[in-house]
Amino acid sequence: MSTQVHASVDESTVRQLSEELGEPEWLLETRLDALDALEDLDFPDVIQTPGRLWTDLADLDYDSLVDPLGAAEEKDQVGPDGVEVLSFTEAVDEHEALIRERFGSVIDPQTNYLTALSTALFSTGTVVYVPERVDAEDVKVRTTMNSRSLFNYTLVVAEESSSVRLLERQETGEDVDGDRYYSGLVEVAAGENAYVQYGSLQNLDQTTYNYQLKEGVADTYGQVDFIDCNAGSRLSKSSVETHLRGDGSETKIVGAFYGHEDQHFDIDARVWHRNENTTADLVTRGVIDDESRSVYEGVQDVGRDAWNTSSYQRENTLMLSDESEADASPKLIINNHDTEASHSATVGQVDESDMFYMGSRAIPERTAKNMLVEGFYVPVLEEIAVDELRDDFERLVRDRLDSRD
Amino acid sequence: MATLELNNLHAEVAEDGGETILRGVDLEVSSGEIHALMGPNGSGKSTTAKIIAGHPSYEVTDGEVLLHLDKDEFETDGVEIDDDLTWDLLDLEPNERAALGIFLAFQYPAEIEGVTMVNFLRTALNAKLEEREELFEDDEGEADAEEEDDAGYDTSPMEGDVDEGEVGVAEFQQLLQEKMELLDMDEKFAQRYLNAGFSGGEKKQNEVLQAAILEPSVAVLDEIDSGLDIDRLQDVANGINALREEVGTGVLQITHYQRILDYVEPDYVHIMLDGEIVKEGDADLAKQLEEKGYDWVREDVYETA
Repeated sequence: MSTQVHASVDESTVRQLSEELGEPEWLLETRLDALDALEDLDFPDVIQTPGRLWTDLADLDYDSLVDPLGAAEEKDQVGPDGVEVLSFTEAVDEHEALIRERFGSVIDPQTNYLTALSTALFSTGTVVYVPERVDAEDVKVRTTMNSRSLFNYTLVVAEESSSVRLLERQETGEDVDGDRYYSGLVEVAAGENAYVQYGSLQNLDQTTYNYQLKEGVADTYGQVDFIDCNAGSRLSKSSVETHLRGDGSETKIVGAFYGHEDQHFDIDARVWHRNENTTADLVTRGVIDDESRSVYEGVQDVGRDAWNTSSYQRENTLMLSDESEADASPKLIINNHDTEASHSATVGQVDESDMFYMGSRAIPERTAKNMLVEGFYVPVLEEIAVDELRDDFERLVRDRLDSRD
Repeated sequence: MATLELNNLHAEVAEDGGETILRGVDLEVSSGEIHALMGPNGSGKSTTAKIIAGHPSYEVTDGEVLLHLDKDEFETDGVEIDDDLTWDLLDLEPNERAALGIFLAFQYPAEIEGVTMVNFLRTALNAKLEEREELFEDDEGEADAEEEDDAGYDTSPMEGDVDEGEVGVAEFQQLLQEKMELLDMDEKFAQRYLNAGFSGGEKKQNEVLQAAILEPSVAVLDEIDSGLDIDRLQDVANGINALREEVGTGVLQITHYQRILDYVEPDYVHIMLDGEIVKEGDADLAKQLEEKGYDWVREDVYETA
């Protein structure tokens, strides 16, 4: 239970926010319920090793970080014909019934303290609606945060036999004195035989604390893939989860991060096998340099009714400095014996024999290391369907490598 | 003309109380010569190869590894040098040795995922050309070096961006294709990741391909013949013979078997035992060895000693 009290946030703040956005009563009630629940909710789970809590989310000074009424941003929301890409406010105006049905249906707003805070205070967001049998490529949502705090909400609904590939990215624009806070909740619902690839690229500046929870639900033969790329922020807690509820549903959760200086990444990838014939593939690759830290938790939870499950998990962290630290915990929980599963995690440094091999071909040490690091990300990059995401993450990696001492 | 010279080379594993492996190796390999280095497991052949290339796991405790380059070796680099040069390889990094023309074909090549063959090989070739310039300039004095620095490094803060370098993408594709044909390799190899998922034979072919691209002065081939079927053995042998004939490479071939020597006939055969070369001769020695085995060498050597 949290002891945080918000001097800067109370019921009147939430009422004012909701009124300014012209929201219906049910949404205001959902926000107020979330606000009320704050005092009873815990912070998100984080990995604990003896004598050490890797990510201390309760320790952040939310009072000074959170300024919901001062929210400011620039946002692009673009997509091809046939698919609706709307701001949250527009979506509520035009499709209130849909939003009312779907909002909070994948992520319970009261999952934890930070989801409740985000639900009470979000002021911006995007709804992507893909009608039956529509195929949509290259949906893009770009957010530039210009205020101390920004609470964002995203909903993706793909109806039966539709498909969509999208990229959502976050950056920081105008400078603000002191630290900042970004919070994003993403709900993805893939209908029967629908396909969603949700890619994200987080490159907030290194004064920003970042909390993101992305959850997807896949219906019968549906597939939800996530590609979660993290390069920015001072500290990130980024959780990606898929619920395989439909018979024959699938998910790929692909992660990539690159930490340097004093960045801290806490990454989770989780899958819940809840029906027959489901498949999950979890692949995360991260690099940490300087004094940065990373912690990864992967969970494959195979439910009692999940006959004929296939579930695979791999995580690799590459350390480029002696001062960086990493921990990884791949977990496999099996309640149905009819399961084929594997899980592994490694933390290591650049392979010396690889370096010698490249050196023996005249390639200097620095170039060799850069090539190995870029190559290390390739299995992740190969999964990305939106060019802008792949190209920009590759460029971020190259810039970081070039700027090394 | 280039000559690799090992004098009284002693080495041990680079750790506290590391095992002594080489106990005074003397060997000379010059351009255009083919040498076979044979010997039982654990006699120090592979260690010799790795030390020549600069492997960090071994410490040289005595002796030297020298590379003599006649002045005609630099003509293709566009550098004018008045005298022959001798390099002490033990003072140089692995990539500098490679730039000077040392090539090691690995017994167990590294598998590197995410780096395509074509990208790797072009980077290697450009790195070699660039490093050679630097090494020869260092040797010729400061004035020239500055001039070249101004010309060459303005746009490349990183040592060799993949998109830059002396040999461009199109030119390199052409070169690679020619060399692959010579070795009867499928052109799809160019887009595969370096050795990743290659069969044992494909890896060996790939080592010879890399030598063909980098055109070394001296190539040390560590068991390039092991695990090859007869077709591949012939391809690999053709590649080695082409290196000698077209590039003038001197070859030091480490092998257990006479088999490859039928295709790549050695001018000299050296037999190693317990960290020393104990017997030397011509191609007949390898045949004798095949018939009589290492016990014959051992008896011969220790009886006379």
